[in-house]
Amino acid sequence: MTTSATNVQPDGGAGSPPPRRLGAALRGVFRGDGIIRWTGRIGAFVPLLALILILLVLVVRALPAIQFAGFKFFSGSTWNFGSQYGTPVKSDGILHEPGEVFGALPEILGTLVTSAIAIIIAVPVSIGAALVIVERLPRRLAYYVGLFLELLAGIPSVIVGLWGALTFGPFIAHHIAPIIADTLGKIPGLTGFFGGDTGNGQGLLTSGLILAVMVIPIIAATARDLIRGVPILPREGAVALGMSDWETARRVTLPWVGAGLIGAAVLGLARALGETIAVAMVCGVALGNLPTNLYGAMTTIAANIVQNIDTAILDPLDIRAFAELALVLMVITLATNVLARLLVRRVSGTALPVGRGL
Amino acid sequence: MSIRFRTICAAAALAPLALLAACGSSGSTSGSSGSASASATASASSGSGSTTLSETGSTLLFPLFGAWQAAYATAVPAVTITSGGTGSGTGIADAATGTVTIGASDAYLSSAQLAQYKGLINIPLAVAAVNVNYNVPGVTKPINLNGKVLAQIYAGKITTWNNAAITAINPGVTLPNLKIVTLHRADSSGSTFLFTSYLNDQDPADWSSSNVGTTITWPSAPGSLAETGSGGMVSGCGSTKGCIAYIGISYAAKATAASLGTAALANKAGKFVSASTASINAALATFSGSTPKTGAQSLIDTTAPTGYPIINYEYAIVKTTQPSAATASALKAFLKWTITTGASATYLGAVGFEPLPANVTTIAQNEISSISG
Repeated sequence: MTTSATNVQPDGGAGSPPPRRLGAALRGVFRGDGIIRWTGRIGAFVPLLALILILLVLVVRALPAIQFAGFKFFSGSTWNFGSQYGTPVKSDGILHEPGEVFGALPEILGTLVTSAIAIIIAVPVSIGAALVIVERLPRRLAYYVGLFLELLAGIPSVIVGLWGALTFGPFIAHHIAPIIADTLGKIPGLTGFFGGDTGNGQGLLTSGLILAVMVIPIIAATARDLIRGVPILPREGAVALGMSDWETARRVTLPWVGAGLIGAAVLGLARALGETIAVAMVCGVALGNLPTNLYGAMTTIAANIVQNIDTAILDPLDIRAFAELALVLMVITLATNVLARLLVRRVSGTALPVGRGL
Repeated sequence: MSIRFRTICAAAALAPLALLAACGSSGSTSGSSGSASASATASASSGSGSTTLSETGSTLLFPLFGAWQAAYATAVPAVTITSGGTGSGTGIADAATGTVTIGASDAYLSSAQLAQYKGLINIPLAVAAVNVNYNVPGVTKPINLNGKVLAQIYAGKITTWNNAAITAINPGVTLPNLKIVTLHRADSSGSTFLFTSYLNDQDPADWSSSNVGTTITWPSAPGSLAETGSGGMVSGCGSTKGCIAYIGISYAAKATAASLGTAALANKAGKFVSASTASINAALATFSGSTPKTGAQSLIDTTAPTGYPIINYEYAIVKTTQPSAATASALKAFLKWTITTGASATYLGAVGFEPLPANVTTIAQNEISSISG
């Protein structure tokens, strides 16, 4: 706290600059730095407090569902809100609607697999795009392409979802999926996952691709800024050694920003894991359905919560199960972040990036 | 340079705080002014206070509610009505939590919901029906379907339109070798409740009672699609060849415009019947005599040979205790209007609904009278 306070010293060495309009006014208010320091301290604790509070509330709220579903919550693949119109039954001492079962495995897998598809597609595309923007395109064109990329990142997800549900999904189902099924689906061993019914545009593949579309601008924009920051000298040196553009990128530019790229990918992954409405619009909302192939209808944790909150809110136990789902999603997201930090530390820990593998 | 940077930083850091403060203060002031205006309208209810009634819920009722809303705005300008087609589940949930004044639902309240939310009542407003529509090019005559076939279609067991089980109940109709795409509602829907009730009543072996509700776990049928709202079902089915969907009768004109066919459904007597004024009323006659005082009754799968099997009461879900006397009286007046003036053919005819039978109107009147401020 105090170190950060002392860090904020005018380091330009300009002496005491002449007071200006807003600066002077603010300085008048915060004479003595006391207020700003305390505001800073409180501000620093608010996010931490919010995180702890959310976790605490979720755990407390989820307890009855944890008791009711037990470990089957993670291993079971049937999710049923139960019949609202049946007579409540008692099992394990808990009164619940008949048929009520909470097995969240398909949703947890759905969340992970859609995000994985998104990242597998988005990372190479984004890094390729970033390299081209920085190193190949004329400066003016690169500027506009970059601008476009940032605009793309700002599109509200509901618009992407709408496009996915109306245009992109059916296009994928009728033109792209059959090609995948005819090629990858013909390879022995992969038939089960890539072959079979290619669906009608709602499901695993469409959700993954929609997520990729949403994640690419985030990763690409970050990667572009990182690559732009690589000094020109090592790159020129590599070219002078007779390396091709591809070799320069692979052996000099990308290793130089490796840690940052992992950070960018995780930023994208976090977005993909939590993305709700766009996925809810294209996933097929198949509760408790473990898709048998790449094209099957499914649902994710976030999509299930947003689509069925109205049903859940009317039953005391359903809403507890949603709290547990939320808890699981939160743990997944936190775990992703921690993992990313470890990875970044490892990558940036290996002394000089340049020269590795040469 | 650095001072400007620091100024900007400070401003940026303070902006959320300032916003928070502004929200807090405006919240508290609007809160107090809100209660003040509420008491003002309450005291002025005998005079000319303006009241707002909000509605969300059933997309099946939504077109009719829109017509009611427009007519009522002319008849009683002092009352403003807002409405939203969000699906019956949202209507029930919003009414239960007090977010809206009226929750519109195709499904009545279950005993569990009544137990959890005391003081919530369902008032029948009109009689509606749910159609089973399909997109099968080249078939002009209504396709006959029954609960058993539909249950197997939705379970992914019958996958093409020329399946023997379908052709057996459609003599003289040539059905194409077209893959069936099942559409179901993505949102919590009264239509889903009615449709699954029908499947369960016709074929309890293939469709268990735990799969009856506004949100259910659909069996895995390859290529199935989820759509939001009755409108979403119409457009989704219109753009998918081979689809089958259950859509409220108020969207029948739109479904026809999207060149969807409408199935004739088997009732308990085993006769295939299309929804019409005559068939809805024939089915209604077998149930309305036994409608309980609470208004909650399933009208599914009539025994009348000429009756249409999927009909229901459209409900207004409201709390008996309203926040103010002004809201209560405005609500009562509006609900009374919907089952009297609003029940004329001008409004109901346009959406294919039927008015309540006389004895059910009385039940609804009594329920409305129980609302107080």
